[in-house]
Amino acid sequence: MSLLATVVDTKELLQTVAAALVAGVGITLIFSFALLGAARFGDASREGRPVAAAAFGALAIVGVIAFLGAIAVGIVVMTTK
Amino acid sequence: MNEADLILAIVIFTALAFDFTNGFHDTANVVATSISTRAMAPRLAVGFAAVLNFAGAFLSLEVAATVADEVVEAGVITPTVVFAGLIGAICWNLTTWYYGLPSSSSHALIGGVVGSAFAFAGAGAVLGDGILGKVLIPAIVAPVVAFMVGGIAIVVCYRVLGRQRPGPVTRGFKLGQVVTGGLLALAHGTNDAQKTMGIITLALIANKSLEAGSDPPTWVIVSAAAAIALGTYSGGWRIIKTMGTRIIKMDTAQGFSAQGAGSAVILASTHFGFPLSTTQVISGGVMGAGAGKRLSAVRWGVAGNIVTAWLLTFPAAAAVGALTFGFVSLFGDESAVGPLIITAAGLGLVVYAFGRRLRQGAPVPAG
Repeated sequence: MSLLATVVDTKELLQTVAAALVAGVGITLIFSFALLGAARFGDASREGRPVAAAAFGALAIVGVIAFLGAIAVGIVVMTTK
Repeated sequence: MNEADLILAIVIFTALAFDFTNGFHDTANVVATSISTRAMAPRLAVGFAAVLNFAGAFLSLEVAATVADEVVEAGVITPTVVFAGLIGAICWNLTTWYYGLPSSSSHALIGGVVGSAFAFAGAGAVLGDGILGKVLIPAIVAPVVAFMVGGIAIVVCYRVLGRQRPGPVTRGFKLGQVVTGGLLALAHGTNDAQKTMGIITLALIANKSLEAGSDPPTWVIVSAAAAIALGTYSGGWRIIKTMGTRIIKMDTAQGFSAQGAGSAVILASTHFGFPLSTTQVISGGVMGAGAGKRLSAVRWGVAGNIVTAWLLTFPAAAAVGALTFGFVSLFGDESAVGPLIITAAGLGLVVYAFGRRLRQGAPVPAG
């Protein structure tokens, strides 16, 4: 570990691994929920369940907004590195 | 034009040639999963990636002196050393492209420059800590992290969406792939075009055509952006095929997980100042997305070949860089004859390969 610490900033390395895990899994999770909301919104609308349709529609919209927000954060990271 | 100007012109031409190979070698990182899952048609995908690569080159102009200054002593970086290093990197990029193997262009460039610096000034010119920190440790971290992230992401995906009708979900993932592919293309243009800008700027400073500490001139920025975009548009179809269809047979969820998770990993690493190879991240992500569904879904033989190419990238590019420098220095360290001979031979090979391809007919793009 001491050899590693002399050539690499281990704090940066650990932060990178942790952030990569959170961001990588997080963006997939967010987008999956957006798709779940969209798919179930269609089903609930067809079955005449307006409350469920509204809830799933809201999930889809929030998911898409969060996904686009993550993309915007990515562009900010690129421009401010 | 004196001899120094001639060497400078050759270095600039070679740097742009490297940038072009960087583009077509790394096209697969951005488009392979989208083409494989039919999120985009092949030509549209590479055109989209090329435009965003071009735009990405203008996003951030914080040019690192070069990728080389942390792996070799600054005093040994002469135009001839840079030229030989670029030749090492170009040769390795073309070799791995021929065999359809995704490998890191940055590691090839670092390897080439280390090899030529070693041939020029001996082992004392090589900074071992820099190589360990910039190449070896990231080369282990990138695929392992991406594999884990891709694997966990696909499990999460299947858990959330397991029972949904495939139609809307498939269309949604395809749309998501277009967005994350665009983000990846922008990131690639920003990171990789800057390497070439840095090299050309350094060569201009060494030739006293620019003052030390100058920003790259506009023509350098535009030409580096154009070279990487043209390379991307040319499409390295062999590597696209490997990454898109030969490692795993990909569904849209796996394509999105590999690409979306890969983009997030790359940007997280950029943010925390520990840059990882785009190629290794996306390749690791594809393997992880396959293994997360079923371990046997990954063609481990193909994965093994890719890992072997990663292991060979640094020493092979270094060896070619050292040999090139050895040949060039036969004519004198400041002579343009050696670089001219190698450039002419390279151009001859390109013309021969292009003529052969025209006679045989261009291959049909994957997908």
